[in-house]
Formats: sequence, C-alpha cells, structure tokens
Amino acid sequence: MVSREPLKTGTKADIETVTENVTNTDVDISKTTSQSTISVRNFKNLPAYFPTRKIWVENLDTEETNRLGIINLHPEIFGARPRIDIIWQNIVWQRNYKYINYKCLPAKHEIQRSTRKPWPQKGTGRARHGTKRSPLFIGGVKTHGPRGPRTHFYMLQVLQRVHGLCSSLSIKLAQDDLHVVNNLEIPVNDPSYLLNLVETRKWGPSVLFVDVDDIMPENISIAADSIKHINLMPVYGLNCYSILKYTTLVLTLNAVERIEEKLLEQFYGPYVRNRKFRTSQV
Amino acid sequence: MSFGKNVIEHATDLLRVLPRLTIANIGPIAKTKKKKLSRRGDARGSTRGLGKKPRTAYFAVGSETKKMPFFIKFPKENYYKDYMFKREYPPVSLVMLQTLIDLDRVDISKPIDLAAICKTGLYSFEPSERHFGVNLTDEGADIFKAKINLEVQWASESAIAAIERNGGVITTAYYDVRSLHILRNPQKFFEKGESIPRRLNPPDDAVLFYTSANTRGYLADPEQISWERLVLAQKYGYKLPKLEDDPDYEMLMQRKDPRQIFYGLEPGWVVNLKDKIILKSIDPTVNEYFKS
Repeated sequence: MVSREPLKTGTKADIETVTENVTNTDVDISKTTSQSTISVRNFKNLPAYFPTRKIWVENLDTEETNRLGIINLHPEIFGARPRIDIIWQNIVWQRNYKYINYKCLPAKHEIQRSTRKPWPQKGTGRARHGTKRSPLFIGGVKTHGPRGPRTHFYMLQVLQRVHGLCSSLSIKLAQDDLHVVNNLEIPVNDPSYLLNLVETRKWGPSVLFVDVDDIMPENISIAADSIKHINLMPVYGLNCYSILKYTTLVLTLNAVERIEEKLLEQFYGPYVRNRKFRTSQV
Repeated sequence: MSFGKNVIEHATDLLRVLPRLTIANIGPIAKTKKKKLSRRGDARGSTRGLGKKPRTAYFAVGSETKKMPFFIKFPKENYYKDYMFKREYPPVSLVMLQTLIDLDRVDISKPIDLAAICKTGLYSFEPSERHFGVNLTDEGADIFKAKINLEVQWASESAIAAIERNGGVITTAYYDVRSLHILRNPQKFFEKGESIPRRLNPPDDAVLFYTSANTRGYLADPEQISWERLVLAQKYGYKLPKLEDDPDYEMLMQRKDPRQIFYGLEPGWVVNLKDKIILKSIDPTVNEYFKS
C-alpha cells in the first residue's frame, strides 16, 4: 500500500478562518493576492444529497505554494461515482481506435503456384489432391488468414465517455492528485524553476497542466518544452488516458469551468431528452 | 465510516487509502472478460463414443457415455499447490544432535546455532533451494541427555520438551536467504570484506510461528515463554529444572537480537580476517540504518 501524504487542503483551523469570510457574490480569485477567500459558485443543476467537493486555488508565481482561496466543485463531475470499469473501457477504446492491423496473407488465387493437378487421381497410392495451393500443403493458403489493412476503429458511446471523464477526475481529486491554479503564468522560462516547483510542492513526478486556450503563456511553454514528463494540454484534449498517465493533474480556474460546462451539457443539455433517438452518437 | 454516508462517499474514503490509480493497475471487472471459444472437438456435437462405424467408436479422453466426466464430477484436491514456493527445513533429529555432542563436534559450553551445526560438516542445506534451516525432530527424545542453549528454525513440541527436560533452552528463529548463506559458510563471507547485514523479519505466513510462545519463537514475549515451559512440563510429566539456580545461567540466557546474525557481532561491522580486527562504523546515518 502506498503511503500517502495528509490532506493538502489545509488544516481544520484554516478552513474555519476562511468560512468567516464567506460571501455569496462570486469573487474573482485571480485578482486576490494573499488573503484567503472562498468563492461560492452557484450551479444551475445541483443534485440534492450529493457530497460537496472543495479544493484550494493555488498559484504558480512562486515555488512555494500560496493558497489563494477555496472553490466548490460540481459534485456530479468531481464527486462522481468512481466507475473504474468505465475508465477501463475508455482506455481500451483510446488504444484501439487508432490501431490498424497491416498484416495480410495471400488468398488462394494470389499464391504463385501451378494450378495443375499435382498427380493423377488414381493409381499412385497417394492421397488425392486437386491443387498444391490448398491449405494442406506447405506454402499453401492459410485458412481464415489475416487480410489487412484492417482498422480497429469503433466509437464508444457518448455517456461512456462522459462518465469515464467524470470518474477519472473524481478519482484524481479523491487521491489528492488534482490541483487548481489561478493561471499558468510563471516568472521565468527556466525549466529548473518548473522542476523545483514540482518538487517543493510534492507533485508529480509527471505533471499535466491544462488550460482553456491552446496557446499557452510563453514562459511555461518554453520551460516545459525540454522536460519530457511535464506537459501542457488544452482543455478540449483532456481524456481518460492522459489523466491516468500523469501522476498529477493541474487545472486552471477557467479550465475547471469549461470542463463543468461541457460535461454538464451532457447531463442537462437541451438535446438530452431526445438522446435515444439520435442517429449519430459521434 | 459513519451512518448516513452514501455509496460515493464510501468509495472516496476507500480510494484515499488505496494505491494511486494508474494505467498500469487498472483492469476490467471480471464479468467483462470474453468467454474462451471452444476448440475443435470440444463441442458436444459428436456421437460421443457411440459412433456409426467402429472407426469412430472411440471415447474422448475423460469421456463416459451419457455421464458427467470424472474430472468435472469430483472437485480438485490440490495437495501440491505452490509446493515450489513453500519453505523447507531439512531435519536434524535428537539422536543426531546427541551424537554430535558425544563426538565433540559441537561445543555445548556455548550457545548452539545454525552456524555451529553447519560447522560439524555433517549437516548440509541449500538456501537457494528454499531450505530455511534446521527442523529439530523428536527421534531419540528418550535418550537425549544434554544441557544446551539451542537455536533452530523449526521444532516439534516433543523435541522442545526433550531439550527443556534436561535443563536446556530452545529458540526458533527465522533467517532470510542472505543470512542463511552467510551462516552456512561465515569464512567465505568475511573474506569478501563486506559489512555484516541485518537479519530481515519473517514473511507474513511465518510471523505466527515465530511470535508464539508455545513454539518458542524468537519474537515471543519472554514471560509467556516461561509460562509455556511450565505448561509443557506438566503436559509431558517431568520436573522443570530451575534456570536461575543453574551454574551456566549466563550461557543459557544468551539470545540473539532479531536483527543479529552472529553471536557477538552486530550488523554493520566488518570482520577483517587477515589483520584479525573488527571495523565498526562511526557514521551516525550508517548506525541508524543498522539499529534494530
């Protein structure tokens, strides 16, 4: 069993001091400096009796972590039922859909061998044969052999993909491997800064930073470019395989909101009622 | 886990103490595995021995006509399951031990351990073949008459009684494979110039044996052991000699530390046979590592 660090979400005393400053209005955390504030986000569709999830918002300006506040996360996405079997289906699908089997063996008519009857039907004492291309002969055809290129592409159902993402995000949060930062701005473009940051905060070793835009800030792009185990990804590329491949997942505040928006659309969106009559699930 | 939690909270609590979920340790649930397709001849479409012709009237192996095959009917009794991974203890009987003592192959004025028994040259074992030391058997328990401080790796109850009836003491102790290699031929080890390693703790399935007092385990509570000595004496009907009044009390009370391999030598020390000196580390980090 892996020994795990205690909760990174502060001590009990910290949380109590924070809850004194609760405001119902939304707080722009990216502008607050060192004062801890809680940002209560109001969700449209909040199911009753679901456990609430909260997470600290951190910074990347300094190597030492500086907690900027707490936000609440949607319980259906970051507190979903951890369906490991659905995650497994997603990973199998992600491995398979891009795989093409190029293996191909010749059919009977493609074998270059005489079509002549090898020996007479009767009188030789040998078994009767009509052609040497038959599967009984060495160098003959292979019965039901591979006839490539054959694609292994298939499409997993939408809800399987949605539940796969929700489950893997919930598991990352439950195992303290999910972090939220205000933005991806770092002061220098030095790779050693990023490595030291990851080490002092006890993240990683492999870290995936996720932001909304696919054009990332310049400093972190240059710094992460030479480190193979620290990578950046736009939020539209987020997938089960990458979430599990990297030890730590770091989301920006905007990415959290985009993830919630896009996944809740699958639960409460306008076309959900007619889902079973949709012809295309791609 | 308190009352009122739902399934998700229970699962989340469980995930916090489980290893990190990665691609390496994820897998499907058992039901999703595909059933293996039957091979040619496995299907029951054939005439099952009642052939149309004499040529086809052969039974398949294990097949009895219109009956459940015997290998399905009777459950498997796997006596030899994992036999290749189980520990073995080559035996030493009490007759053999008495003979070794009578012929001065072992010195009973000192504690006798595995190294002393190997030094006689009459006992051999192979640690690489999962031999984990001496099993003391009770053959010759009636004729055994020697007062010894013995340390073996496994012992039967009657063998323990035979030792303690004569005023001796017995301990069962576990040694890991590397320690066994060292004990079998200490000179070869000392010539390498390596520091003496620390003895490892017993594996999970051996913990119960080496921590229980009625098997005289080396990790057992000494007070419980003295109680069990009394119980065994009453069970076998002999008078237990008092250890405190014994002239060899100090020799009989000698025990190894659970991390120690040799009497008098601590883990971390280096024995130099050429210069006849013992080298001890003064580095606190090294000493901290070898401390038991």
